[in-house]
Amino acid sequence: MRVFRLGHNWSYAFSDLEREVDRLLRGVNLSIQGLRFGRQYPPVNLYELDDEYLLTAELPGVRVEDLDLTIAGGMLTIRGSRQPDGASDESRFRRQERHCGSWQRSVSIPDRVVEDDLRAELNEGILHIHLPKAPDEAPRQIPVSGK
Amino acid sequence: MSGELTRPTSTNAEGTPPAETRADAAPVERFVFTPPIDIYETDDGLILHADLPGVTLDTLELQVQNNRLTLFGRVPEVVPEGARLVHQEYREGDYLRSFILSDNVDHDRITAKLTSGVLEVFLPHAPKAQPRKIQVSGS
Repeated sequence: MRVFRLGHNWSYAFSDLEREVDRLLRGVNLSIQGLRFGRQYPPVNLYELDDEYLLTAELPGVRVEDLDLTIAGGMLTIRGSRQPDGASDESRFRRQERHCGSWQRSVSIPDRVVEDDLRAELNEGILHIHLPKAPDEAPRQIPVSGK
Repeated sequence: MSGELTRPTSTNAEGTPPAETRADAAPVERFVFTPPIDIYETDDGLILHADLPGVTLDTLELQVQNNRLTLFGRVPEVVPEGARLVHQEYREGDYLRSFILSDNVDHDRITAKLTSGVLEVFLPHAPKAQPRKIQVSGS
């Protein structure tokens, strides 16, 4: 149920302890994990292209039907869950480093986008959300009346 | 059941892709991550799951040599040309991890599949050796 990716060898030294702590935290809301590691899940990258923004997130093992995207007022919300695909019996695990459960993440979009034209795909466990930029509006003259 | 049926080796170094891939790899330096895994027992053997987001069938190498099972997954570049990174919370990189298999894993019957960035490897128990009668000849 770990929420961060193992990137270092030294994490082995702590893995058993962490597994115990993770076991204690199981069932507790995932936001606590977020606090614990000081970052939100899932981590996202945001790219800017000429005509769109592209948001990517790594979501291995998440099925399309378990994913829910909404956008309102420049705030994009990704909500989803990952079903456990392991043994139901905890004692049969030799090693448990992957997390499952539900999560939610809101990201504010830095620019105006066409919210109706959002497009997303989930391939090989990576989510891509395309946010087309709204075209610049022509400046509008405001008549000033005076005496 | 405990012991060392399948234990990760301590040598899955980060930052050093396997030698054979280094030669033809692009000169750009890539991160190599240790993917998170689950290993659990079933009646027939062990099942290993590894999170490898971005890895495709074509870019995954899974091999058993001697007693070592090695997985190496390359993540192809998916971001379009000319994209400017404005916010980054994770880095792209490849995945490498290896495990020592114990003798009671049947190496020849290992199977694997890759679904939505999750690798599943089935490590079946080796059949128990049947007692064999040894003929004793006398003179």
